[in-house]
Amino acid sequence: MQDRGFAFRRNPRTGKMASGIQAERYIESKMRELKSSGFAWILFGMLVIAGSGLFFIPAFIIRPFRYQSARALGLALLTREYASFWTVIALCGTVALAAWQWKRVRRWQRVWLAAGVLLMAGSTVMARMNYFEWMFHPVAQPGFEAASHTKLDGGEMILAVSVGRDARAYPIREMAYHHIVNDVVGGLPVTVTY
Amino acid sequence: MWKSTVGGRVLHFYLAGINNQNFLMRDRETGTWWQQISGKAIYGPMKGASLELAPFDELSFGLWKKESPDGQVLAAVGRDQKKYDSKWEEEVAKLPVPVSFPGTALKPRDVVIGLVSAGEARAYPLDTILKQGVIEDRLGGRPVVLVAGPDGKSVRTFLGRIEDMGVELFRKSGSGDFALVDAEGGEWNFKGCAVSGPETGKCLPELAGIKDYWFDWRNYHAGTTVYRH
Repeated sequence: MQDRGFAFRRNPRTGKMASGIQAERYIESKMRELKSSGFAWILFGMLVIAGSGLFFIPAFIIRPFRYQSARALGLALLTREYASFWTVIALCGTVALAAWQWKRVRRWQRVWLAAGVLLMAGSTVMARMNYFEWMFHPVAQPGFEAASHTKLDGGEMILAVSVGRDARAYPIREMAYHHIVNDVVGGLPVTVTY
Repeated sequence: MWKSTVGGRVLHFYLAGINNQNFLMRDRETGTWWQQISGKAIYGPMKGASLELAPFDELSFGLWKKESPDGQVLAAVGRDQKKYDSKWEEEVAKLPVPVSFPGTALKPRDVVIGLVSAGEARAYPLDTILKQGVIEDRLGGRPVVLVAGPDGKSVRTFLGRIEDMGVELFRKSGSGDFALVDAEGGEWNFKGCAVSGPETGKCLPELAGIKDYWFDWRNYHAGTTVYRH
């Protein structure tokens, strides 16, 4: 047998001398573990960043009061479209990796695993939510009252539409909150927007 | 206000996002994203399609009620009533603008009535319309008329012709009340209909105008001009 160097002949745990083959096997398995755990961490981190980005990037682009160029808006809408599917995939991957890692890592490292899974789960839920309708509730079924019965002040502005004999008014005060009302006036389907 | 029918199909819209302080909406039928301000489909299966403006007016309730005493008013949604804000416009006016166009004749939050005729866009400052009472102009080769209402707040916009005949309207001088007259002395009401004179019973075709902030109108109508008197 050829010489493989002195260091390989000592078992690092027991300090006992070991045969070359045994030492080699031991170190190889340790290295494999180290490599696979490092690789798992990198994969885990990348999945969480990419997956939650599917929610955060469009949310960041289309935040209120900011300018959106047509290109940025296009990117946001494209990302949002793919997000509902790919966040689920990323979440599955994240959960699987965290479960696999759980027993292999130190206790404080589990905090990172839990945080990553939580962030990814939150992003997955948010990517499927229309949070704009949390801020401004939609009008499910528009109701109406007679012009003579409403308490609206004469000076208040309204959006008015009349088709044939049907005339309808949508107070700006209400429209500025709901923003969209789907309606049919005199047989004409209209979308009132403000 | 838009007609909901596109290519023979009635769509139902909901609020789905924001773009430069305007809302984005999606339709339940196809999931396409639409710009509320331009009526254009910007993303999704119907991308490239456009909604058609429905004929509508922005009026004071008092004026509208006189014209349409049998009309119906959208009822408040009970649970949201507290969130309605009568000072909404004043508060929005204080917000920073997402985009501005320095060097143009108007300030970003000046309110304009925007008209589009045969592909040509022009912004008419609301102050100017209210001050002048009536504006006669040509846009995209067609005569257009903008009229301030008797309440001093509401504005209506029309094509300034009936069939092929041009109609010019003036604010009747010397009368405190609201009155519009044509060149032959016939009187017209705020609905754009002749109530006396040779044209009695005829109405000017409505041309849908959009009330908007200058920065916003300019942002979505790059080639727009501004009316000057």
